[in-house]
Amino acid sequence: MDNEKKIPANLLLNKICQDYFTRAEPNEFYLPVSEEAFAELIPQLPKFETLLISLFCVENFAGSTGFTLFYVLEKRRAQNFVILLRRLNGNEASSIAEYFPSAGWFEREIRDGFGIEFTNSVDKRRLFLHEGYPHDFHPLLKSFKNRDITENRKSMSGAGKYLFKEVKGSGVYQILVGPVHAGIIEPGHFHFSVIGETIFNLEVRLFYKHRGLEKLAEGKTPAEAIIVAETISGDESAANTVAYCLAVEKIAQGSVPERAGYLRTILLEMERIYSHLGDLAGMNVDIAFPVGASDFFVLREEILRFNETLTGSRFLKGLICPGGLKRDIDSRDLFKLYSYLDSFLRRLRRAADYVLHNESVIDRLDTTGVIKKELVQPLNITGPAARASGVGIDNRIDHPYGIYPFFELAIRTQEKGDVHSRFDVKLSEIQDSVEIIQKSVSALKSGSVLDPISLKDGYGLAVVESARGQNLHWVYIKNGLIERYKVRTASFCNWQSIEHAVIGNIVPDFPLINKSLNLSYAGTDL
Amino acid sequence: MASFAVYFVLNTVFVLAVSPLFMGLIKIVKAQMQGRRGPPLLQIYFNLLKLFKKERVVSLNSSFITLISPYINIIFILAASLCVPLVFIPAANYGFGNVILFLYLMVMAKFFMALGGLDAGSSFGGMGSSREMTISAIFEPVVIIVVSALVFVLNTFNIHQMFATTLGSSVLTNATLFLTAAALFIILITETSRVPVDNPETHLELTMVHEAMILESSGPNLALMELSHAIKSTLLMALLINILVPWGLAASVTPLNLLIGMLTFLLKGSILAIFMAVFESVMAKSRLFGLRTFFILAFALAFVTIVFELLV
Repeated sequence: MDNEKKIPANLLLNKICQDYFTRAEPNEFYLPVSEEAFAELIPQLPKFETLLISLFCVENFAGSTGFTLFYVLEKRRAQNFVILLRRLNGNEASSIAEYFPSAGWFEREIRDGFGIEFTNSVDKRRLFLHEGYPHDFHPLLKSFKNRDITENRKSMSGAGKYLFKEVKGSGVYQILVGPVHAGIIEPGHFHFSVIGETIFNLEVRLFYKHRGLEKLAEGKTPAEAIIVAETISGDESAANTVAYCLAVEKIAQGSVPERAGYLRTILLEMERIYSHLGDLAGMNVDIAFPVGASDFFVLREEILRFNETLTGSRFLKGLICPGGLKRDIDSRDLFKLYSYLDSFLRRLRRAADYVLHNESVIDRLDTTGVIKKELVQPLNITGPAARASGVGIDNRIDHPYGIYPFFELAIRTQEKGDVHSRFDVKLSEIQDSVEIIQKSVSALKSGSVLDPISLKDGYGLAVVESARGQNLHWVYIKNGLIERYKVRTASFCNWQSIEHAVIGNIVPDFPLINKSLNLSYAGTDL
Repeated sequence: MASFAVYFVLNTVFVLAVSPLFMGLIKIVKAQMQGRRGPPLLQIYFNLLKLFKKERVVSLNSSFITLISPYINIIFILAASLCVPLVFIPAANYGFGNVILFLYLMVMAKFFMALGGLDAGSSFGGMGSSREMTISAIFEPVVIIVVSALVFVLNTFNIHQMFATTLGSSVLTNATLFLTAAALFIILITETSRVPVDNPETHLELTMVHEAMILESSGPNLALMELSHAIKSTLLMALLINILVPWGLAASVTPLNLLIGMLTFLLKGSILAIFMAVFESVMAKSRLFGLRTFFILAFALAFVTIVFELLV
């Protein structure tokens, strides 16, 4: 870690943009900055295609006492991440949401978790702790121990009312939806301000299922914490577990046997396939076209059954671990999968043709829920949602991991950013995933699948392209135990895009837009 | 008078008995189209029985309207059912059968359903009622034009006499009836909240129209609302069937004629129900503001009918 405190801000800016992002090694570049340099640097950074992809806090980092804020920056088409370390004196910091709008949620998350006040922040409301929690309740502080808090419930004073941003005026009314819905879906509260049926403003309130996963991981050994990573979001378990393992392997400087690398890729792509199939089906259900949806549902079910054959788990749990895989996968099953995928592709194309040749379907998908390209960078929108808006980003290519560098991957983009574009992007990505799986099966050689790692202390960052986009995991191991585990899933970023995507659309189109973005509630609310 | 008394009892009992059947049939055919097995044909009867036995859970914010609106709603629908002979045409109809009366009895039923939706004070009930009334207001002129076309072609305001006319002549003598029948089909789809106008199977409260209005109903209230919806659907189906293919409709009351009347109606109704299910399955729901295209189609068909009748 270089000490760059003495370098003036403009020089630092040059070094960050020209050097650190593109340097061959290391993949992540930690850069402690002084308050003054930070204040000068931050307003400049957005001009250089720099994005804030995560912001998190660590207490008592690397021997220091107090809080350190980690600003994780990514630059388009640059392989490295630059992480600005900002040491705080006390528990106050200035907000950077003015320059990086994506910082808004992160700062609120840190306020809830650690009690750090962002002084000039425009939005000081709580994020994951709802009003029932007392003022001084900050579960991520080291002084807070995991325990049953029901005994305190009676004495909890609560933090007052959560104020929604409302559009007011004659003819404007508010529609409040959720967190309990008519169907069996995850909980989320949606606060619409509408005139007639047209949406003027939407505010989403989530975090009804906070499980305290980051806290739960603390004090566990890296092997024990796998289960925490798997639990983050049920249908992203392979992506999250691989990301977690990548971070642990990076810290231990361990490697993964080639066979395990290929098998992990197969699992990751299987996850992408069933996730995308669920979306394609779901979009059809939401426009009341269940006949079009049923083919996708059938294909998804078949993939889930293959998951069970391969791993014993329909949602790919319990197999991936640091150093490779816990068990090998039977090659005969993989060859069965290979030949099944041929007929799968034919049936997928037929199902897609049927849907996309139906005029009433196209009419619903086209021009609905547009995410503007200009929003992708400030809000850090990621994954298929960004690609459908014409931004060609994919972590498998931008920050390659595992065996992805061996493949020639294409980024599927569309320009319009509407529901139809997202449908098309997901459809092409399923076909790409099938190709990756088939190539992996062909390239597979027998060998061991586990290269046990020797644990070391340290910290490391890993990003993985999950079905929903970039999932970021940062692991800090101290004395062989996890000291801090930070996860930022794609949904955490993309949830903020829906508030923009629905504006000007009508209320009955909201479920379709929501489905096309496929946002995970659990994955947002660790 | 005796004939009308028999008609009163028979028509009402018959429509109550068969309406859920068609709903069940539509569900099965839709499920089959999606590659599912679907519920048993009689499941919908068991559901209604179950709901009648369950307690009524009512929002604290609701008034007596919530309690009485399902009853008023079904009374209006049953009154409307007297206007549409399903099995036989009584000798005298005592004013029942006027097509304008029929339409506005149904509108009254709808009005109370919308009122019931508003009463609980939940945002979805209000949203559903507002959408239902918006669609009604846009659709009403279309309905009037379609009905006018019927009156033009068949030269009577009375549905009973319309059926008597179509029964007594071949549909080919009034070929424009085919156009009107297509328009009537659009009315059938719209008034019974089916795809592309509404999605009867959705769980997405924000997209609902009809379902949102009855989202707060429970127990017997919900059963009555669902039953009245089924009856409304059967009445509109009967209107379409007996205008286009009235064969089997009994003109005189004999047990054999009644039996033939019932069986033929069941058969024709089932065929129409299957057609409705297929129609519903091959298209997605339209955008709410895109519905006018669908409505204008009915309007145009009826308008063309009238023009033809005037030219001939």
